[in-house]
Amino acid sequence: MIQLFHVTKQYGAEAPALSDVSLEVRKGEFVFLTGPSGAGKSTLLKLIFCAEPSSGGQILVFGRNISRLKPSAVPYLRRSIGVVFQDFKLLPHRTVAENVAFPLEVRGLHPREVARKVAATLRGVGLDHKGSKFPLSLSGGEQQRAAVARALVGDPALLLADEPTGNLDADRTLEVMALLEAASARGTTVVVATHDRGLLARHKKRIIALESGRVVSDGDSIRRAAGS
Amino acid sequence: MRQVLRLLRRAVDALRRAPLVTAVAVGTVFVAVLLTGLVAALLGGGERLLAAWAGEVPISVYLAPAADLAAARAAAERLAPGMAVEAVTPVAALARLRASLGDEAALLDGLGDEVLPPSVEVRAPGLSLGRTRELAVRLRQVPGAVEVDYGAAWLERLETLLRRARVVGIALFAALALATSVLVANTLRLAVYARRDEIEIMKLVGATDVHVGAPFLVEGALQGLAGAGLAVAALTAAAWALLPRLRAALPLAARLTRADVLPGALLVGLLAGGMALGIAASLLSLRRFLRRT
Repeated sequence: MIQLFHVTKQYGAEAPALSDVSLEVRKGEFVFLTGPSGAGKSTLLKLIFCAEPSSGGQILVFGRNISRLKPSAVPYLRRSIGVVFQDFKLLPHRTVAENVAFPLEVRGLHPREVARKVAATLRGVGLDHKGSKFPLSLSGGEQQRAAVARALVGDPALLLADEPTGNLDADRTLEVMALLEAASARGTTVVVATHDRGLLARHKKRIIALESGRVVSDGDSIRRAAGS
Repeated sequence: MRQVLRLLRRAVDALRRAPLVTAVAVGTVFVAVLLTGLVAALLGGGERLLAAWAGEVPISVYLAPAADLAAARAAAERLAPGMAVEAVTPVAALARLRASLGDEAALLDGLGDEVLPPSVEVRAPGLSLGRTRELAVRLRQVPGAVEVDYGAAWLERLETLLRRARVVGIALFAALALATSVLVANTLRLAVYARRDEIEIMKLVGATDVHVGAPFLVEGALQGLAGAGLAVAALTAAAWALLPRLRAALPLAARLTRADVLPGALLVGLLAGGMALGIAASLLSLRRFLRRT
């Protein structure tokens, strides 16, 4: 699903945000990407959904080398990837339903089909009664669930979540993680960037740890726990 | 068709969501098109007035003293059909000269009645300079004609003046169009900037540049058309209100019509120009934001 070979990312003359990163995420896997702030977690996700180009190395997503992808092909790749952003990126002047409908509208789906899928997805994240509300009238947890709904509404093969529980209390964190695990159970490959150690401890998944832009460990949490 | 309607609905929705930015963009296009139209109307009207002024100058066909004035007049009427032709005898010519000299008329005392040549005068109001020149050449065929005078030197100067005015007008028009394009582009850039988050999110969820850009271009076209439409309405209203006063104040402008100052082609051009300006400005602004994500 995702393969990185010696990937680097450098912003100007600063120290590289990613340095010689090689890893593979297989289809259907649920992977945590962890590390302290500035370790390169968000940068890695951005490279995977082509928000930024890499400075070196090769990245294969769905078997396609995205370093060689034409700009005109990027939108079509992104349609297979759902992204949950750390800052939600919900448009405040659009209703929750309109925000969630975005990925379907850009694909040119019929409005009836859009409405049907949006309603089903909102029901799935427990926001079916909030579709006509505006994001700023929702709680932080509800906004995060709306962001997850937008990422899931297009049935993506790959779901990337950048600190999806960063602004949430423990109960809301459980809710959001349950949504991501449900997506994983349906066959979606899920990559979650987080620095929340509690989250890593509670969910026994593969963990890729980054530090100063390098992969410092890669294995499942059970093995890591046994090794420590 | 469904896609076009959806596109239009998206554009209108977006315009409604940002009424202030829409008003500023429409206002900017309005001012730009109004100024451009005003310059074009002034140039067109001015040219028309100068041409009318030139048409007021009579063409005089001076005859040999022994020429048959009646035959010359008949020939002139044939050569200038539909125009006012007047035969001027030497006596009548001297009387006109006396009248024009006023208090100095005494200078002519002692001259004989036949001192001035007989002539035929042709008046062709509203005739263009080129047509006046052509008519003068034809009138040389009048029997007994010695000289045809249509104020050539004066008219040539007038023609040069018109030519220069046209060049200055075109330069002014181009400078104005460029300046207003920059102004409109900057205003519409504000409109695009105000929605940069929306553009970013649309791109991140897989929208193509065409999907993101099309509504903005439609918005630009609608804003341009609205601004230009208001400007055309204002110009037409101004012409409707001012032309009767100008006609009353200036005899030369008696035949000046709305179509002379604001011809249909100019109005259509202003509408199309306003729309094109809106689209071009949106396109310029969009390119910067589309490249970012």
